[in-house]
Amino acid sequence: MNFRRHRAILLAYLGMIVLLLLTSVVAPGFLSATHLRSTAVLAAFIGIVALGQTFVIIGGGIDLSVPWVLNCAAVLMTLLAGSQNAPLVWIMPLLLAAGALVGMVNGLGVALFGVPPIIMTLAVNVILQGGILVYTGGAPTSTAPQAIQFLAVGRILGFPVILILWIALAVIATVLLSKTAFGRHLYAVGTSATVAEFSGVPTLRTTVLAYTLSGFTAALAGMLLTGYTAQAYLGMGDPYLFTSIAAVAIGGASILGGSGHYIGTIAGALVLTILTGLLPALNLSSGALLIVYGVVILITVSLASEAISSLFAFLPRFGRRQSPSA
Amino acid sequence: MTDLLTAAAVTKSYGGITALSRADFSARAGEVHALLGENGAGKSTFIQILAGAVRPDGGQVHLAGSLYRPRNPQAAQDAGISPVFQELSLIPDLTVEQNIWFRREPLSVARTVRARALREATEALFARHQFPTIRPDQELRRLTLADRQLVEIAKALSSDPKVLILDEATSALGPRETDWLLGLSQGLARAGTLVIYISHRLGEVRQIADRITVFRNGATVAAYDTKAVDDETIIADMLGRRMDRLYPERKPTATERVAVRLRGFGVGHRLDGIDLDLREGEVLGVAGMQGHGQRELFQALFGIGGARGSVEIWGKTKTIRGPRQALTGRDGLALVPEDRRNHGLLLSRSVRENLTLSVISRFTRFGITDPKREGKLVDEMISALKIKAGTPEQLAGTLSGGNQQKVIFGKMLLTEARILLLYDPTRGIDVGTKGEIFQLMRDLAAKGYAILFYSSDLAELVHVADRVAVLRNGRLAAILEGDDNSERQILRAAMIETRAA
Amino acid sequence: MTMATLEHQPDGAATRQGRAAFWRGRLLAQASLIIPCLMLAALLALYGSLREGVFTIDELNLDTAAAMTLLLAATGQTIVLLRGGIDLSIGGMISLGTVLAATRFGSDPAQAAAWAFGIAAIGALVGALNGALITVLRLQPFLVTLATWSILSGTAMIILPTDGGSLPAGWMKFGFSQWLGLSSSVWLLLLLLAFWFWFKRTRLGISIRATGSNERSAFLSGVSPLGINVATYGLSGLFAALAALYLTTQTGAGSPTIGKDYILPSVAAAVIGGISLFGGRGGLVGTIIGAYILTIIGNLVFVLEVSSYWQPIVSGIILLIAVLASSIAEKSARRSLT
Repeated sequence: MNFRRHRAILLAYLGMIVLLLLTSVVAPGFLSATHLRSTAVLAAFIGIVALGQTFVIIGGGIDLSVPWVLNCAAVLMTLLAGSQNAPLVWIMPLLLAAGALVGMVNGLGVALFGVPPIIMTLAVNVILQGGILVYTGGAPTSTAPQAIQFLAVGRILGFPVILILWIALAVIATVLLSKTAFGRHLYAVGTSATVAEFSGVPTLRTTVLAYTLSGFTAALAGMLLTGYTAQAYLGMGDPYLFTSIAAVAIGGASILGGSGHYIGTIAGALVLTILTGLLPALNLSSGALLIVYGVVILITVSLASEAISSLFAFLPRFGRRQSPSA
Repeated sequence: MTDLLTAAAVTKSYGGITALSRADFSARAGEVHALLGENGAGKSTFIQILAGAVRPDGGQVHLAGSLYRPRNPQAAQDAGISPVFQELSLIPDLTVEQNIWFRREPLSVARTVRARALREATEALFARHQFPTIRPDQELRRLTLADRQLVEIAKALSSDPKVLILDEATSALGPRETDWLLGLSQGLARAGTLVIYISHRLGEVRQIADRITVFRNGATVAAYDTKAVDDETIIADMLGRRMDRLYPERKPTATERVAVRLRGFGVGHRLDGIDLDLREGEVLGVAGMQGHGQRELFQALFGIGGARGSVEIWGKTKTIRGPRQALTGRDGLALVPEDRRNHGLLLSRSVRENLTLSVISRFTRFGITDPKREGKLVDEMISALKIKAGTPEQLAGTLSGGNQQKVIFGKMLLTEARILLLYDPTRGIDVGTKGEIFQLMRDLAAKGYAILFYSSDLAELVHVADRVAVLRNGRLAAILEGDDNSERQILRAAMIETRAA
Repeated sequence: MTMATLEHQPDGAATRQGRAAFWRGRLLAQASLIIPCLMLAALLALYGSLREGVFTIDELNLDTAAAMTLLLAATGQTIVLLRGGIDLSIGGMISLGTVLAATRFGSDPAQAAAWAFGIAAIGALVGALNGALITVLRLQPFLVTLATWSILSGTAMIILPTDGGSLPAGWMKFGFSQWLGLSSSVWLLLLLLAFWFWFKRTRLGISIRATGSNERSAFLSGVSPLGINVATYGLSGLFAALAALYLTTQTGAGSPTIGKDYILPSVAAAVIGGISLFGGRGGLVGTIIGAYILTIIGNLVFVLEVSSYWQPIVSGIILLIAVLASSIAEKSARRSLT
């Protein structure tokens, strides 16, 4: 384990633990199993959207299209299913594929046509926004099918289904990042696309795949969120732009790409959710929450920055020996 | 006459690598003073010290009698020393005139740049020095490399320097602009400026320089009046006597089998009509002064930048459109690139990840990487190449230059490609590692690898390569073999131009 | 790399072919401005064919009033983009500006004026802080301004949790007042243009663009990293505050959430107008055209009597076309050089 490289991720978990301890002081009921469970469930939605975002950011990009990919999937699912469970069998795979396809378009725009990621995904986001608004006429109020509500709020042996799903996704993401050629290539492309190209890395395929994954997880989160709120509504995806990027940043990834891990993002998602849950207990408004979010982001990214880490140069560097010639 | 600029025992080293061991220099106002030496002799470091971009470790420089220690390039400019570097310091999105006067623009009462005054100053500058035609309102990024070099010269002249340093300023210029610059240098000298002139072209030096100082291995070895010395002496001084034990024994291992056959190979305007055969078991050297097409040759073979002409790899016609089409296992080509930090290594990733980046499939089963098999490959490479890293997890950016280069070698060797394109692989590397790399190259050749090897250090080509192809102006000037494969012959072929020099 | 020619062409090769190639190169070089101009012309032609009175002063007054908040926000964003950065915090600043105006102006004109200056100063100060954080902590502008966006939005919500508040009647008259037949917004636009033609010629204006174009060269030539970032983001914050003040003359209320509607459109207007996200390239004229394009799209959707939801779709497509077209033009311009 390389302390320096994983320091940002360790810091995110350290921050989370400190936050939990703090919480137990100011709001004693907070550490109960019930409350922790509901916090984890809420974090799962952020965590799932942020999964794709993590891959895109590690690859040196950013995905601003998640809000309306999420929203489109949610709205289309309720409209197509019409509260029926049976059609979900084909609707869910179809919408997941559609989300992936949107992501693929993003990736091709970025990697093949050289459109800056911010612009490409921003344009796709507003096009989707307009598209779903035109399609629904602006006022969809379909309720979510029972089956999807089971996925979002149901339990198996007392354990929330969505947490099982999140854990499964986290395992897959971790394997993809740490144990596959795709993961290796992604870090390489995010660190230096030129070096990756010179090393024979399939840069185009790697970038497109990252965005595709982001489209997929945004669509999945949208459908699950519908199950949680029991219905789809327009604008439900908007908060997830900020939270998905914030979770990745708090989780220790550099916005420039090439570093970070989904394991860190999980901590990021949990930190954001704990903060959200903590503030009502402290009688603070949603405005205060936004301020706290901003301060937390500033602190975490500062701690991970080189300027600050040079202040900690006196700390022992675990597992890192200086080469004699360096 | 007293000297305007004197340097005594200036030293500089970078992380254990000595760039200047003892540089002495003295030059008068009103002369063109040529500074000669091979690549890596320390000329660049020396002029960077003069220009305030690098601080010396020891020694003293005096300018006009007082101690000269510029804190930064600005201070050097203020003291009257203006450098024209090869690596340009211009801003692509500003116009020619904005670049020339950047941060020194004439301002109006409203604190805006007076466009007319700026134009007049530019035109006056151009007229005074009879610049070739450049439109002052052109954006810099729209100019050719040659024109950008002219702008860089104009920028240096705009502050009316006491000392003008021209570092290989003619290498990007065409014949007409070169003649102009030579005339300009002499004119400035006559008007009292000291012009320090660095060039690989002996003809130019002879034409304009009043005096010559020769650097070798970071030290001053000789200083002459130009009239009192002949070309052979200068070349002999530049080369000196070398330690030959650096180089391994060279046994011919080439077979008749052709690994790479090029016919009519070319890239843009930079490289044309190259016919070349690289054989199995051969180390084929490539020589040429900076910017004469060797970079294009290597990159195009690796699929970077379009190429024309026919390429046969192991007897089969092949079109290589990208590194992925070059790195195709045993029948492929691998490149050790020129720019280690930007093209070769992921500095912020570990030695292990860098080594195996191109060969992940070699230790992947059912899509999952196997750390044990990866570790074996990594350990093999680390011990075979004697890479000095604390652990394979050490970040590549924290290694010494030589070890970084070994990691790049290792990455390419793991691809098992038997055609290796090595672009200046020993640049900036300590002597010990150099020797190891040469030994490795000969060993690989003996195993049937075919190696194309460019080096900016001629001695390496002479001692390691079986044959040397010399490029000049993007064309094959000569292929030297046996006794003809000498530094003298290479320099002749590379430097002595067809036009009267 | 393919730009250099070893053999120079003889001077004054004034062949017809050479001249044609020269003008083609010049044209392509300006493509990033010509493309949005053509787009705006096409949209205006379509708009004019569908409705009477498009090419009148009244329409100009109306459209400029509609575009002005975006224009002011995009002016700041333009300066930041030229530096090679991005400023997401303008969203928070605009929200904060409107709620401060709606809660602090009161009915005393002197107090209102003092607060108006105060809001502008807060904007500049917050922006300068962004610039300082980015430089001193060596952080990415995207993340720093994302965080300050959140902080400013939160502050705005605490001051005024929901839309509301009130502004002096005289303040809101500003948007409807006219002089010499031109509305205050059009005069403001002219002022903005005057500012720009002054600013881009100042040493600071040139240095901001130079730093965005090539940071290393600029710093080597004596540009101060801290100074340039403080100035760049400070100006962006100032313009965001001005956008907020203008917005309140239109809406007559404060809103703690309205700012986020201007963040990405401000980037879009600039990018449609030919400003490169990589810095150094473009100008405010392009951004103004971009902002008008986005505004006219809204008008068009209205007169075509289709759902207003078509507006984002068309905007998104226009944005993509603009980026792709200028990147293709830039590539051919580079090719026509060699």
